[in-house]
Amino acid sequence: MDLLYKIFIDPFMQMGGAPDLLVQTLWEGLVSGMLYALIALGFVLIFKASGVFNFAQGIMVVFAALTLVGVYDLLRSAGVTPGWLAAYLALAIALGVMGILAFAVERVVLRPLVNQPDIILFMATFGLTYFLIGFGEFVFGGNPKRMIAGELNLPSGAVEFKMAGGFVAMQKIDIAAVLIVSVMVAGLSFFFQRTRIGRALRAVADSHKAALSVGISLEQIWVVVWFAAGIVALTTGIMWGARSEVSFSLQIIALKALPVLILGGFTSIPGAIVGGLIIGIGEKLGEFYWGPLLGSGIESWLAYFIALLFLLFRPQGLFGEKIIERI
Amino acid sequence: MVNTAVVHDTFPKLLERNARDFGARPSMRHKDLGIWQSWTWSEVRDIVRAYAVGLSRLGVKRGDTVAIVGSNRPKLYWSIVAVQMLGAVPVPVYADAVADELAFVLKHADVRFAAVEDQEQVDKIQSVMDRLPNLEWLVYDEPRGLRDYDHARLRSMEDVIADGRKALAADAKLGAWLDGEIAATKGSDPSIILYTSGTTGTSKGVVLSGERSIAAATDTVNFDHLDENDVALAYLPLAWVGDHYLNFAQGMVAGFCMACPENAETAMADLREIGPTFYFAPPRTLEALLTRVMIRMEDASAIKRKLFHYFIGVARQYGERILNGQSVPLTGRILYGVGNLLVYGPLKNVLGFSRVRTAYTAGEAIGPDLFAFYRSIGLNLKQLYGQTEAFLYVTCQPDGAIYSDTVGPAAPHVDIRIADNGEVLFKSPGMFTGYFRDEAKTAEVLTPDGYVKTGDAGFFDEKTGQLKIIDRAKDVGKLKDGTLFAPKYIENKLKFFPNIREAVAYGDGRDFVTVMLNIDLTAVGSWAERNNVAYASYQELAGHPLVYDMLEKNVAEVNRSLAADKMMAGAQIKRFLILHKELDADDGELTRTQKVRRGFVAERYAPLITALYDGSDAADISTEVTFEDGRKGVISARVKIRDMKVVPAAAMEKAA
Amino acid sequence: MRAPDDKPKSRIGDVLLAVEDVSLAFGGVKAINGVSFDIRQGEIRAIIGPNGAGKTSMLNVINGFYHPQQGRITFKGRTRSRMRPYEAASGGIARTFQNVALFRGMSALDNIMAGRTLKMNVNFFWQLFRRGPAMREEIEHRRFVEEIIDFLKIQDIRRTPVGRLPYGLQKRVELGRALAMEPELLLLDEPMAGMNLEEKEDMSRYILDVNEYYGTTIALIEHDMGVVMDLSDRVVVLDHGEKIADGTPDEVKRNQAVIDAYLGVAH
Repeated sequence: MDLLYKIFIDPFMQMGGAPDLLVQTLWEGLVSGMLYALIALGFVLIFKASGVFNFAQGIMVVFAALTLVGVYDLLRSAGVTPGWLAAYLALAIALGVMGILAFAVERVVLRPLVNQPDIILFMATFGLTYFLIGFGEFVFGGNPKRMIAGELNLPSGAVEFKMAGGFVAMQKIDIAAVLIVSVMVAGLSFFFQRTRIGRALRAVADSHKAALSVGISLEQIWVVVWFAAGIVALTTGIMWGARSEVSFSLQIIALKALPVLILGGFTSIPGAIVGGLIIGIGEKLGEFYWGPLLGSGIESWLAYFIALLFLLFRPQGLFGEKIIERI
Repeated sequence: MVNTAVVHDTFPKLLERNARDFGARPSMRHKDLGIWQSWTWSEVRDIVRAYAVGLSRLGVKRGDTVAIVGSNRPKLYWSIVAVQMLGAVPVPVYADAVADELAFVLKHADVRFAAVEDQEQVDKIQSVMDRLPNLEWLVYDEPRGLRDYDHARLRSMEDVIADGRKALAADAKLGAWLDGEIAATKGSDPSIILYTSGTTGTSKGVVLSGERSIAAATDTVNFDHLDENDVALAYLPLAWVGDHYLNFAQGMVAGFCMACPENAETAMADLREIGPTFYFAPPRTLEALLTRVMIRMEDASAIKRKLFHYFIGVARQYGERILNGQSVPLTGRILYGVGNLLVYGPLKNVLGFSRVRTAYTAGEAIGPDLFAFYRSIGLNLKQLYGQTEAFLYVTCQPDGAIYSDTVGPAAPHVDIRIADNGEVLFKSPGMFTGYFRDEAKTAEVLTPDGYVKTGDAGFFDEKTGQLKIIDRAKDVGKLKDGTLFAPKYIENKLKFFPNIREAVAYGDGRDFVTVMLNIDLTAVGSWAERNNVAYASYQELAGHPLVYDMLEKNVAEVNRSLAADKMMAGAQIKRFLILHKELDADDGELTRTQKVRRGFVAERYAPLITALYDGSDAADISTEVTFEDGRKGVISARVKIRDMKVVPAAAMEKAA
Repeated sequence: MRAPDDKPKSRIGDVLLAVEDVSLAFGGVKAINGVSFDIRQGEIRAIIGPNGAGKTSMLNVINGFYHPQQGRITFKGRTRSRMRPYEAASGGIARTFQNVALFRGMSALDNIMAGRTLKMNVNFFWQLFRRGPAMREEIEHRRFVEEIIDFLKIQDIRRTPVGRLPYGLQKRVELGRALAMEPELLLLDEPMAGMNLEEKEDMSRYILDVNEYYGTTIALIEHDMGVVMDLSDRVVVLDHGEKIADGTPDEVKRNQAVIDAYLGVAH
């Protein structure tokens, strides 16, 4: 009885009792949720358009961040004044590098394997992962680096406001993160729905054969998609790197994307967002209010638990495409 | 209110008036290539005038008959008025008529010109050209496929209209001449000839005059308060009197907009898009709609189903009374309001009925449940009764006095009398002037004092004062023991059940009543899917023992209902069978308006009828069928027969 | 589609596509062995043969899905040893598939609009904001597609996701998509498969209309001999990857080698 009370009543009492803490927790959940969503978005893009689960997405995040920081250092040592000019120049160059990466991946990995089963392509992304790890270490070294958040004019510090007897603090970088993610998602959705390339992308995702016969160039589409995923990876790298640091351990975050994808569906952009938010907010709430009960560390396994439930009851996720079959 | 016919006694004159008074309002809409095209009254007037001039240059003159063959397309309606402008007479023919039927009408009406919809109709006419030596010109609307045809006697309507336009622009006197022609046509001159689909015998050409048509249409326009803001969807056959009356004539008189759907298959979707304010559907269509809704509901989630059934119950309780303006408790109104939000509103929206102010049905008896259902969800459905010879309306129900088992009091200015033998007679402002070139038949159908014999048996119900139609007068018969046998009455009761699509009853001069049934493939097929009953063909499903069980229950219920009526108790169904194939108009078993040709069916299925009356359990039958492309084939089957128990009338009285 | 041809009868012109000594092998299996034939402008060419004869592989070679190990393809005067699908499509070759390759999640209308992909030329930025030239082009394409929908009489299913349509209608939508590409050469892989008599007659009518009305050259693989005899101008017969006959339907019908192949006589 006492146990039931502790599980089902007490946490809600606590929530109600200190609403400012609730808001704080919700906010933090929102932020981490958005960032999970961002990672998941990279997977969704590539999966949607080429049916490949890109195991290398995580390392692409690291690679992109490392490139950005590395180029910035290079520019500085070449005499460019430190500050926003160098930072944005570095950003532009980093984007260019992701573009080249997209081209290279299409040429070297995707094109030769075009008619192979999906599992082969998945294994190829494994190979890509290890290549990027090795290459990254070779070029940038294995030490953790600092993200050039300030130079990119990303705000720092916190905003505090009083509420309900206490106060809530929001990191400005977090606010920026939420805004940037929202804009990015809106932009991507718009792109998919409205433009010719977006429509071609959906066509390719639906049926390669049909897309080919209509004259859509699969190679072009894949380059576009991997580039988009690269942009997402860069953004992810910047945001996560700004909140901690840029190191190879950052790729672990990619693992969190898996529950998000299971929840939201592997092919849905809004699904990635909703999935991310559910996981993010769920984790934080769980950790804060139920943590003392179940021992801390809820954050590390709750996401997978929720994912398991979904796999059992609704495997296509909330937004995944239901397969339309005519019997 | 001054009757319009006094001033504008022909449709061309009405068109001029509408162009003057409602010039900028939409007159015609047509969904073509995916979007709704629209024409105003002024535009239509100009097009029709150019068309008329073009036709006159092809040789159409006063007194000619011009066939109009096709489905609801703007240019065909405009063909009607253009022809009328010249004092010639349009003769519409059903679009799905086979070549023989077409040849008959065109020959009988002695047409020299034909305005047709498309290549299909052109091909049909050309295939019987040898029987139509007087046919000079064919004009067509849809050019697809006709490009390579010999155009010696063929022309596109576009070209005719363009030619007329050029001529009008070049010669100012031509316009004045046309005005003269329009003015010269008297209201008493023939305005149109509508050939009725005979349920017995061959078709007859009903001649209607302009002034009578417009007088009748004016009466009903006032009766239903229609005006230039209304919208109707013309989806029923153009050659049918109902379409000519309800859409064309009323549209001309009131100035409202007529919309033509893209084609027959999209009609339901187009209905939703147009959102008409006035609607007509035969009971069959309403049945089919309801069946589809019910089937979709069966497949919906449990919550939705519960919600649906609950609120339909609420509607059944309060709906009709609210529609009739009667008093309803406040809780009832609130519940109904919620139901409207959740169920009836969306339902009407899906069916396309959201804006319908007045809806009519006619043609056959409508099931009381069906009728009540539509009224209860807020559709103002009413009945009317009539025939081509009356130019449709003989009776119609006014708002506030609507019953499912009557067809209404006499329509405005219509006089109804019941003959001694029960036949309904009428005299109406819109009635026809005679059968084309058939004085004998005209005389046959009129009484000495000028009343038309409808051929239907009926009586005025004491309670409501409204007319009740029992059956075709000549079909009402007697069993060997003298019990009244009204086959239609029994068949209608059977057809109220969703599983039964068609029923034919026999019993005149026999010992007892038997019926042959057709299952409704949609309803029974859906039931089969849900209950894992496998079938490979219509024939197999129709012969399935479980299906027989289901229908047996329906027949039993009809027997119970018959037992409740002293007159009908002796006419309960003793045996029935399910036919192995659907009765079809292409095989001659139904008319083009889907009414059963009882005599023809009796001949064709004679072996089955013999078996019904000689006590056999089953019978073999082989029938010739016609496929859609005209080829013939043979279908054979062994049809099973079931016996029914009869409910003793005495038992019913005790239970009551 | 070009404007309807004004010359009615002598519609068959010069060679549009020629396949020269093409061989195709998968691993050790030779699917096509040294096959040569041509297709003339404006004709309806049937490719027939018993199952496994290599007919679908031949079509796949023509529109670039498979690359032959040997041989050449000459299309509109240009000779290539291998064609990429994109080149085939933009060169004016459209294709339908034996098992229907449609975008199952999209409506019939969207599927047919997809066929206009190569004809859409307007700049990316106009598209992004849906203004000016992009809107006009969209309307033009929509009008074109609606003509096709009208021609194929599929107005009532234009918004239905094709995954939900019965097989016969799916094949019609696929034909519509191929037509939307305004092809000069239309490759049809068993267009009548799985259809009942009425559907076959409709499809035959459409194929003939496309050929007569728009002058489109058509190559079709078909098993129904009646259809082949009625529709085609010339026939090429494949068996076990080799060409065993080539001529008019009558000639081919009487050819002994063809009769043997269908009866399964070893040769």
